[in-house]
Amino acid sequence: MSKSLEYELAEMIIDFCNVEDVAPEDVSPETALIGPDSPFGLDSLDAVEVVVAVQKTYGVRIGGEKTSREALQSLRTLAEFIEQEKEEGHLDA
Amino acid sequence: MKIDFPHRQFAHCESGVTANLLNYHGFPCSEALVFGIGGGLFFGHVPFFKINFLPLTTFRVGPGGIFSKATKRLGIEVVKEKFRDPVAAEKKLDHLLQSGRPVGAQTGVFWLPFFPPAYRFHFNGHNLVVIGKEGDDYLISDPIFEETVRCPSEDLRKARFAKGALAPKGKIYYIEKMPEHFDLPSAVIAGIREVCRGMLKTPVPLAGVRGIRLLARRMTRWPDKLGEKKTLLYLGHVIRMQEEIGTGGGGFRFLYAAFLQEAAGILENDRLLELSEHCTQIGDLWRDFALLASRVCKKRVTIEDSFEELAQLLNRCADEEEILFNALATEIK
Repeated sequence: MSKSLEYELAEMIIDFCNVEDVAPEDVSPETALIGPDSPFGLDSLDAVEVVVAVQKTYGVRIGGEKTSREALQSLRTLAEFIEQEKEEGHLDA
Repeated sequence: MKIDFPHRQFAHCESGVTANLLNYHGFPCSEALVFGIGGGLFFGHVPFFKINFLPLTTFRVGPGGIFSKATKRLGIEVVKEKFRDPVAAEKKLDHLLQSGRPVGAQTGVFWLPFFPPAYRFHFNGHNLVVIGKEGDDYLISDPIFEETVRCPSEDLRKARFAKGALAPKGKIYYIEKMPEHFDLPSAVIAGIREVCRGMLKTPVPLAGVRGIRLLARRMTRWPDKLGEKKTLLYLGHVIRMQEEIGTGGGGFRFLYAAFLQEAAGILENDRLLELSEHCTQIGDLWRDFALLASRVCKKRVTIEDSFEELAQLLNRCADEEEILFNALATEIK
């Protein structure tokens, strides 16, 4: 994976959620972010941590109707969500 | 046989089911609007009522409340039925589907095979819409999922007759007749009024802002009274109820903020836009609470360093909600 937004997000999640023994380059952008298949080992309690980390780092709020579940499916969906929100100017003050 | 039902994915099952059913019957609406008209926002902490051995804490009204109240306030005629006999329940469901009617159903989550195994917990307040049957499989619009799903009839039968707290007893519900005209402003005002009453004027200190303060008081005693293991279980349960995967950690406050935004347009009252902003800020406070609580549960911070702060955050949520709902009650007088 190049230094893409997905890569940055993987780094951010590893940092914020204290994930051990996982390197950003080992994680496929398509794999599940949360749940038993998560390479980060994240569960529902970590979802809030990721939501807050995204808001602090990128100024993008996750939390409207259905956006949280959709955005947190994988690194790819999260990156797409952030890019779309930025494009539409939905940045948190 | 499959009904041409417009499936949409939403944050919360019951308001999602209600929005999808109303949309099918010719009343296009958002999940937020249904949630608000149905008076969905609430807070309750009932230490002596246990679900899965953990005290009940809820951030929304009880199962069935949003559908019942939203449809009633919009003047929609609905039918609700419960059954003792699973065979009769299935027969009735098949009959309704044959007549081309999508049917809402309350189910237990544990028996639904389309849920990933890790999410199949014993919770009997889940809602979905049955939209057809092919062979022995029911076709289902479950708003938690992106696409419609299939469910073998035997599994749906078990889910409809799951035992335990909130047992669904085969409950189905469907729309019988839509009104010719909707009085949307009155429905919105009635929904807001109910939420203000529930949050501010409850006769018992278990609900509304008093309930939030009760939880704050009791929570500070958990570590000494319950020990570490049980404290973390109790705390984890509170934030799971608050997050319910999909609501962004704000305990439905973000969804209610979206409703207030729509309500501002419907009632032509810009003050509701300011109150919507305030509601979002309160959602952020709740999320700060969830964030710290999840760090405690994950042992990223210690109980000793955090419980005072957790209680303070809860008290701030209570104070801000008191201000918000008093202001809201004034606006819809």
